[in-house]
Amino acid sequence: MSQSHFIDEYLEQLWYMKEEKQTSVDVLKLNLADKFDLKVLSDLNVKGLAKISPDNKKINLTENGESQARQLVRSHRLAERLLHDVLGGDFEKGACEFEHIVSPELVNSICTVLGHPKECPHGLVIPEGECCKRSDKTALSCIIPLTQLKLGTSARIAYVKCQNDQQIHRLEGLCVRPGVNIKLHQNYPTFVIECEGAHIALDNNVADNISVWRDQQTEDKKNEIQNSSPGIKKESGGLKKFFKRFKD
Amino acid sequence: MASDKTKLEVKKNPEEKPVEEMIVKLDGFHSQFTVIESNTNETPEPANKPKPRPQSVSKNNTKTLVKKVAIIGLPNTGKSQIFNNLTGEYNIVANYPRTTIEVKRSLAKIKEQLYEIIDTPSLHCLYIHSEEEMLVRNMILDENPDIIVQCIDASQYKQSLLLTADLLELETPMVIVLNAIDKTQRKGIRIDSKELERILEIPVVESIATRSIGKAEIQDAITKARKSKSSIKYGFKIESAIIDVMSALPFEMPFKFKASVLLLLMDPFLEKSLEKKHGREMIERTRLEISRIRRQSQDKIHRDINSKRHQWVSNISNVTVKKDTPDKEFSQDFARACRHPVLGIPILLLFLSFVYLSVVYISTALTKFLEVYIVTPTVDFIQSLSLPLFWNDLLIGQHGIITLGVFNALCTVLPIISVFFFVFGFFEDSGYISNFCVLTKRLFEKIGVTGKAITSFVLGFACKTMATLNTKCLPNRKEKLITVFLISFAIPCSSQLGLDLAILSKVGITAFLIAFGTLTFYAVLAGVILNKVLKDDLSNCFIEVIPPMHLPSIKGIALKTYHRMISFLKESMPIFVLSAIVLFAVDKLGILPMIKKGMNPLIVSWMGLPSDILDVFMLSLATRSAAAGLIFNMVDSGALNFTQSIVAVVVTTTFLPCFSNIIAIGKEMGIKAAITISGAIVIVSFFLGGVLNWLLIFALKQI
Repeated sequence: MSQSHFIDEYLEQLWYMKEEKQTSVDVLKLNLADKFDLKVLSDLNVKGLAKISPDNKKINLTENGESQARQLVRSHRLAERLLHDVLGGDFEKGACEFEHIVSPELVNSICTVLGHPKECPHGLVIPEGECCKRSDKTALSCIIPLTQLKLGTSARIAYVKCQNDQQIHRLEGLCVRPGVNIKLHQNYPTFVIECEGAHIALDNNVADNISVWRDQQTEDKKNEIQNSSPGIKKESGGLKKFFKRFKD
Repeated sequence: MASDKTKLEVKKNPEEKPVEEMIVKLDGFHSQFTVIESNTNETPEPANKPKPRPQSVSKNNTKTLVKKVAIIGLPNTGKSQIFNNLTGEYNIVANYPRTTIEVKRSLAKIKEQLYEIIDTPSLHCLYIHSEEEMLVRNMILDENPDIIVQCIDASQYKQSLLLTADLLELETPMVIVLNAIDKTQRKGIRIDSKELERILEIPVVESIATRSIGKAEIQDAITKARKSKSSIKYGFKIESAIIDVMSALPFEMPFKFKASVLLLLMDPFLEKSLEKKHGREMIERTRLEISRIRRQSQDKIHRDINSKRHQWVSNISNVTVKKDTPDKEFSQDFARACRHPVLGIPILLLFLSFVYLSVVYISTALTKFLEVYIVTPTVDFIQSLSLPLFWNDLLIGQHGIITLGVFNALCTVLPIISVFFFVFGFFEDSGYISNFCVLTKRLFEKIGVTGKAITSFVLGFACKTMATLNTKCLPNRKEKLITVFLISFAIPCSSQLGLDLAILSKVGITAFLIAFGTLTFYAVLAGVILNKVLKDDLSNCFIEVIPPMHLPSIKGIALKTYHRMISFLKESMPIFVLSAIVLFAVDKLGILPMIKKGMNPLIVSWMGLPSDILDVFMLSLATRSAAAGLIFNMVDSGALNFTQSIVAVVVTTTFLPCFSNIIAIGKEMGIKAAITISGAIVIVSFFLGGVLNWLLIFALKQI
């Protein structure tokens, strides 16, 4: 198990304790049993996720730690709901790995699909997410093909569909691979993306094979900017500067 | 001696300074550096030495005599510029990917040691995708260079490090050159070259090759190149798989480790070349082993290998790159406008009219000047000698050596094409061509020319032979065939285009529009038909890096134009003179009038041209420019009217490609295809020339 995995485990445990209004380190020790490790505890302290009292008796989540724990618990309990309600499966076993691997966007989508549930199958409270506050009715898919990305926005690549080994390696060689941030500059006549400093022109069918994470927040921000200046106007902005420079 | 000066240069900058400091220093000393440069440039290599190393010398022998230095890198990272700086030779440099499509070699002496410097086409990684990349890889694998110099443009740092990872696995001594650091610094990217040197355990040098800054450091680094042990650690699972593959390969094979990795990644080119070398049985055995490993890893091993590679790269780039906020670069905005579907069109038209006007006004002024001050006085002088008729004709007659040979080349063709070379060089160096490809991709797709092929197509306007060779990088045979055909059929090359412009501008802008409209129509028609008729053999994908645009340096373009002019004179001058002599002889022997008579129905009745135009067609077989130069003079003297000028220009442009172009087609597509294409072109060209003639006559009557 990786280090971050351990920390997640501790954060969740601390959230449960907070729900029960417990702050004693001893209780944490008891709950975690053989997973308890003083080193992780000090890590939490160093990373500013939890605060330990000077006498080493009490432990509290910091603001930062609380928001992380909240997201983890939310994911975990939503996963339980999903497995219980939709798939009717063994929700204990499946859900415990779930919170470590999903992105906040995906969790919001699941929450929306399930109709913003308030409690997990055990009857414990599911922390509210952004989607609950907005009471979203439709879940946006989190992963979209590059062809549907808005012009001028950046996104992280989720995966690249494998058509043939050649194409995959060509893209890999240009650093177009999962986890990399790209920016879409142009979508007609060809797609032009910026990736690790290089401008790359792509065919439509190649762009279709690249799937990216839809980043809700940046997209919202861009929407505001773009409403005032759509694609073409932005270009002419560049041109205006060009003429200005000539005048200078 | 060159080496002494090299030492002096090294002493000038003995210890390596941090990046910023060095740049300031180098900038300060720039003028001094160039002075030293010009001295060393002349003597890097004794002129009388045979340039390419004789192949017969055995390998062990040459190892001690000449060390091979291969310059390798991503597209557009300045490999050729560094080659030029190191060897004092000139290999064409430009700002579009795949300027260099063939391996070029030259000798250079550094510190009393003779090196063979090898300039190569671009390479992204050792897993290859096209023929020109295969050329580089085969060069590395077969020749086993003693030293590899990798050129890195830090604006594509991670991509470059991927290649570094590959090259390190070859276990060849290496040097890394961080080129164009001035440009990358403006983009806000700073590479800690000291740290990179420490991590990779090989010399890392900073350079600005276009201003030959850092040349001495590169030379110094080449002498210090060493092997590195800091290549990727794949971990037990993958490494044991690699060892399994290695054990299936022949014992004495070089680069076994890297070859095994590539085979695990399913490199089709390598499998084929190994099959050729080591026989079918061996490759079958290896293939079995690989499919077993892939199955065992649930078909994941290639992904795992790639992840390791990327991990290695990001680990290094994390500690060696500092990113500042980049200067907002106007050139990138402009580049975006150039390929924008709406804004790109006026920019394109602006550029085209710039080409037209500069060629027409500057070059015709030049030719007129030369005509008045050189041609006329000389001809008059010879006339005044009142030589016997035979000698008079041989020198200054219709097919005279001086008039049709020397002056046609020097005073008519050269001024026109040098202006065109200069303008074209501007486009090449600015990086506009790649953006043009993006802009026009959809249009070109309609005529079966897709993606990469557009670059080759555009290069045809400079030189058809070069453009034809450039089609090497096209993976698809159908696309290649269409591109090769269109290049040799409908595109005028630089000398032709320059002269065509000059000729048509004499007749008027309408003639220009009609002639080039016709040529465009030809290209579209031929493209559409070929696209429909030919069968697609492979669906391919277009993935291409667009080089950044920048204002090109006038010095660089002037140098390039100069070298192109020199090579034009070297190659064409003898042909000009020789073809004049041949025409003269054929004329005197009475064969030419006979052919003229025989061809009359075709030339005079069908195409409406004067029978003297046959000289032009015969000259075209030797070189296009000589023929066009002759038309230029015919129009000048009023021998051709409006319709005839247009028909003559269109027919000579489409008529049989020049000899070197036919050779190039043969090289790329096979002899059979070359003959078929040439034959088809001649027939189509004469046929359409006649059609055009009658259409024009009909249209003029209507008006």
